[in-house]
Amino acid sequence: MRASRPRWGTTGTMTLIVLVINVPIIMMVLNSFQTTADIRSSTSLIPKSLTVANYVFLGSSTPFFTYLRNSVFNALGAAALSLAAAVPGGYALSRFRTGLLSVYSSALFAVQMFPIILALIPLFILFRAMGLIDNPLSVMIVYAVLNLPFVTWMARSYFDTIPRELEEAGLIDGCNHYSAFFRIVLPLTGPGLAAVSIFAFLMAYNEFFVANVFLRTQQTMTLPVGIQMFMQQFSTDWGSVMAASTLMMVPTLVLFLFVQKFITHGAISGAVKG
Amino acid sequence: MGNYGRLLQDRSFWHSLSFSAIFALSNVVGCYFLGLGLALMLQRDFPGRGLFRVLLLTPWIVPSLVAVVSWRWMVSDNGALANKIIAAFGGDPIYFLSNGNWTIVIVILIKIWVSFPFMMLSLLAALQAVDRSLYEAAEIDGATRWQAFMHVTMPEIRGVSIVLCILMTIWTVNDFDTPWLLARGGPANATENLVVLAYRHTFARNDVGMGATVSFVTLFILMALFLIVMRLTRGGHNAR
Repeated sequence: MRASRPRWGTTGTMTLIVLVINVPIIMMVLNSFQTTADIRSSTSLIPKSLTVANYVFLGSSTPFFTYLRNSVFNALGAAALSLAAAVPGGYALSRFRTGLLSVYSSALFAVQMFPIILALIPLFILFRAMGLIDNPLSVMIVYAVLNLPFVTWMARSYFDTIPRELEEAGLIDGCNHYSAFFRIVLPLTGPGLAAVSIFAFLMAYNEFFVANVFLRTQQTMTLPVGIQMFMQQFSTDWGSVMAASTLMMVPTLVLFLFVQKFITHGAISGAVKG
Repeated sequence: MGNYGRLLQDRSFWHSLSFSAIFALSNVVGCYFLGLGLALMLQRDFPGRGLFRVLLLTPWIVPSLVAVVSWRWMVSDNGALANKIIAAFGGDPIYFLSNGNWTIVIVILIKIWVSFPFMMLSLLAALQAVDRSLYEAAEIDGATRWQAFMHVTMPEIRGVSIVLCILMTIWTVNDFDTPWLLARGGPANATENLVVLAYRHTFARNDVGMGATVSFVTLFILMALFLIVMRLTRGGHNAR
């Protein structure tokens, strides 16, 4: 490899590109600290005066924190359910080759491209009969299924990194298959599985469509549904809408920073390289 | 079967079908080339590369609601950012969200903005898997950078590109969030894609039968598309 001087020119170009691409987000965060009147009248990109009035308004006169609590609760439940299915599923796909498993594997691929709307219609009728509309359990179940392909493939790619010899050594020392899995494989894949569960959490936390169908009262709504209602009601009160969106985005960004380094060698490269 | 007959005579169905096609095609083309361009830049070695890679992912990781909110205020009315910029250049304000064609443009732009980071990451992984020695061989043979790109890079990432474009087509056709959150499929039904139409039938008009019919047609179209692409590409060399 030839040694070369750092390419600061590329860095400069990239800085510009990154700024342009992030303009909507940056402007949204800046605007959330201005009154709606200021947003509309201002002629410069940089805000003149900052205020937290929008955030105070969210806390005092909107059910924002109810929505937040619902969102977090649903996403935790969905992540737990997906993980409970993906860990054994991913492990089986990583270690065994049987006809049933290849059927399962292609079924996962089918779920990945299945139009959600097609599943939502019968599910809505079914859940209505079971009294699950406006019940967090309904979205948790649907999210767990929707997450399953991604989460299983990602879990599988972590199990693939654990050498089979470790379990074989355990089996010789008197473990059975289950204790070999729980005592040897699971502790080693801990960090990877933590990343998997954070992804499952994020997908559920960010989701709008399913929540919009199943959660219809204010007590059960999640953030995207709630903010969307808010946007229809106060369509001109951009300050508060942007404050709500900014707050909603914070957990997503923070959690993503924790797991972003897993993303390249995780599911995407795995799924794409086959 | 009556529903299928009704559907074929329904003008809003044909409109949704063509909008879905335009939406998917523009998004796939747009986010593929944007993603590929950025992946090629990120593949080079320069200071701050890892940081830029993360910062370019924000449109993809923020919730769809946040993405649409952040765009919607920029185009919402004549006092919005886009119109302030137009006014600064002396133009007349454009009512982006009450003109059907403009709303279609905005929906496509938002979708490209949300989708390109996935393309970029996946193509970057594919680019990094290309054998370095191929480039060295090309250099020895006197290939220009453009020739090396066309004859080494592109054939090497062809399989991945096809898979990515199929996935992106499916995801775009199945997208509900972007058109619904931006304008509820409006104005009129300009940005009503097949999924929004099915949702309307089922949950607003209480016509579950028509809703299911539209969603089944969507599924058939996607499956047909998938099979055709698979058949066409099997002739060439396989996806890596």
